[in-house]
Amino acid sequence: MPDALPWHRLQFAFTITYHYLFPQLTMGLAPLIVLWKWLGLRTGEPHWDESARFWSRILGLTFALGVVTGLPMEFQFGTNWSYFSRYAGGVIGQTLAMEGMLAFLLESALIAALVFGERRFSRKAHFTVAAGVCAGAWISAFFILVTNAFMQYPKGYTLGIEGQLVLSDIGSYLFNAWTVVEFAHNQLAALVTAAFVVSATGAYYTLRGLHREQSRIFLTWGTAMGLGASVLVAWPTGDAQAKLVARHQEVSLAAMEGRFESGPMAPITMIGQPDVAAKRLDNPIRLPGLLSFLAYGTFHGNVRGLGAFPRELWPTEIELLYYAFHVMAGLGTLFVLLTAIGTALSWRGTLESRRWMLWALLLAFPFPFIANTAGWMTAELGRQPWLIYGILRTSDGASAVVSAGNAIFTLIGFCGLYLVLGILYLYMVSREIERGPGPAAPAPGEMAVTEGAQGD
Amino acid sequence: MIEIWYALVALSLIAFAVNDGRNFGVGALLHALGYNAGERRAIMGLIESSWSWDEVWLVAAFGSLFLAFPKVLAIGLSGYYLAVFLLLWSLIVRGIALEMAAHVEDALWRGFWDALVTLASILLAIFFGAAFGNVVRGVPLGADGRMFLPFFTDFSARGTVGILDWYTILVALFTLALLAAHGATFVAHRATGAIAERANRAARRAWWVVLALLPVVSSGTRLVRPDFFTGIIHHAPAWPALLAIVLGLGAVFLGLRQGMERIAWIGSCWCIAGLLGGAAASIFPVMLRSTIMPAYSVTAYGGATARYGLGIALVWWPIAAALGICYWRIVARRYQARMPS
Repeated sequence: MPDALPWHRLQFAFTITYHYLFPQLTMGLAPLIVLWKWLGLRTGEPHWDESARFWSRILGLTFALGVVTGLPMEFQFGTNWSYFSRYAGGVIGQTLAMEGMLAFLLESALIAALVFGERRFSRKAHFTVAAGVCAGAWISAFFILVTNAFMQYPKGYTLGIEGQLVLSDIGSYLFNAWTVVEFAHNQLAALVTAAFVVSATGAYYTLRGLHREQSRIFLTWGTAMGLGASVLVAWPTGDAQAKLVARHQEVSLAAMEGRFESGPMAPITMIGQPDVAAKRLDNPIRLPGLLSFLAYGTFHGNVRGLGAFPRELWPTEIELLYYAFHVMAGLGTLFVLLTAIGTALSWRGTLESRRWMLWALLLAFPFPFIANTAGWMTAELGRQPWLIYGILRTSDGASAVVSAGNAIFTLIGFCGLYLVLGILYLYMVSREIERGPGPAAPAPGEMAVTEGAQGD
Repeated sequence: MIEIWYALVALSLIAFAVNDGRNFGVGALLHALGYNAGERRAIMGLIESSWSWDEVWLVAAFGSLFLAFPKVLAIGLSGYYLAVFLLLWSLIVRGIALEMAAHVEDALWRGFWDALVTLASILLAIFFGAAFGNVVRGVPLGADGRMFLPFFTDFSARGTVGILDWYTILVALFTLALLAAHGATFVAHRATGAIAERANRAARRAWWVVLALLPVVSSGTRLVRPDFFTGIIHHAPAWPALLAIVLGLGAVFLGLRQGMERIAWIGSCWCIAGLLGGAAASIFPVMLRSTIMPAYSVTAYGGATARYGLGIALVWWPIAAALGICYWRIVARRYQARMPS
């Protein structure tokens, strides 16, 4: 049923994009919380624990949103992509099950203890709880990224008796060039998101003259972690990812750059709009030779353009892919600049008095979410027209029994439900930010269960 | 190997039913057991810290199904497309309502989310019950191995069936009663004072309803799937399950009457595990039973992936499950203390 395909794609794209807004923040925040709790344990100074406690509450909210929006993802393999599930389930089912059993059981057992249970644990035990939540979040990311990497760069499989894919080598399925690079690149990008959210909160408090001690921590750590992670996202991980694409998804690289002609000394396009019908790039601004160098390490590397490939191998949404890639790369560059300035100012101790910089840091927090989303769009649109690169076409993977109308209905349902969830989340987080970091006040849920009388 | 994987999928589903099923029951009875906001808060406090761990067992069950029996997952989930999404949306609403209620101290706010918890919990108990009824009854799987179920057709349980018919509705109502009884038993075990007494009374009433419905559901099952009870006789793993049901029910009634709620709670868990486990053992190896023609059914042997993947997963799965239960036990011990009313 070809007319249902775009709706299946859109629904998965929408639900996974929306879902991933939350885990990228939890995965980025969790290591910071662990680090702060460790410093609190080591130094005994209360502001580390206060910072950790404040972000744990936001982590708890974000985690809950991640849980409820993540639940439909696993099921949508079966509901909307049943042929794909049946064909590749013997391979990807392995990591999806691992995620649930090895990561979610750990995370979900500990999250309430992290957010609400501080007084039920010794300080050391509560630190361990935080470390467990962090480990769970990162382990789950690994298994999901292996699943995605298999769709990009299938390894470790063989054909089963009914012609479906079955696992043949767990080692090369879990650990290959693509899984390692994709994991590193993605996790660093999650750290960028958390760093920007933390420094924006610090900037907000500083601009309002609130929570002096914590906002200094948020600004210093946010900008420093932001700088470190932004640099590492670009190099070496982003660079390595691009080289993998150049080697294994040549046609995707051409589409990402809007390149139609082939040859050495391929330029990087800074600005321009691809005109796919006319097979050219309109009003381009280019840096010559750089694409050849980035893709193959030499200016003489021949980067083949779209013209060198048959049309049925071209990604299906070339313009969108091109914009997504350029938004990601452009924002990534700006992140390095902004966090470098922020780090330099905080090093000199003048960041808190530069209101323009505080405003910039405050307003910057949505952009890592955009960059992460654009990065994923680059990966997933670049994979087209394949569902599993070179093996299964996207058009063959969808559920044949589910018609377009059904898929549109559930997509609209998700839009409505997720709109409400988004409003609730923003309301709850802004409440926590208004409440701010402070001395150990138990969360209200905890109080009702235990004392019930202590003031908030 | 395939038998082991069938058992592991069933075990994950049992873990989900026993753990999250309890939350559905508690949620469904929230307003019946908690007369005012304070009491409702106390009851919610019993499940707040564990609902996401409990729900993970559903993810684990479907992950394991995906891993071992991808064909069954693919046919089943796409065939029940709309129902699956109604279920997922209800789970989302339930989870969010539990979280939201916990974070803000405001009577109106909490009243709203508490009501939503109750509504979503009742719906979820009914949905999962109907889903279980569908597995036992079978699906309209044709010669092409495809199906897409309407919500209902003519309410008969034969031929081109829909999701709801007299039998699946009966199982859904039975499940609602069973999970309400399960949840009430849990509250009776863990709460104190007036709430515990109320829960004890509610649990006893609900268990009587369960006991009354059990023969009705059993004869319904015999009509819809005549081989169900011969399956129990022929599959040895179903026997201990039967024993678990009988002993569990005994423990429930004895425990609730004698004020040994802990015994009643353990009995309640065994009873649910026995019902699910017995059914799973009885219908083995048929996973998707065709109501059109028995030959179109999908069995565990026909739906499983290759040996290598199953073997690899058999190495890590038990370790992961043991670890997962350990984490939960360690944390739960800190929350075991009886709450003051």
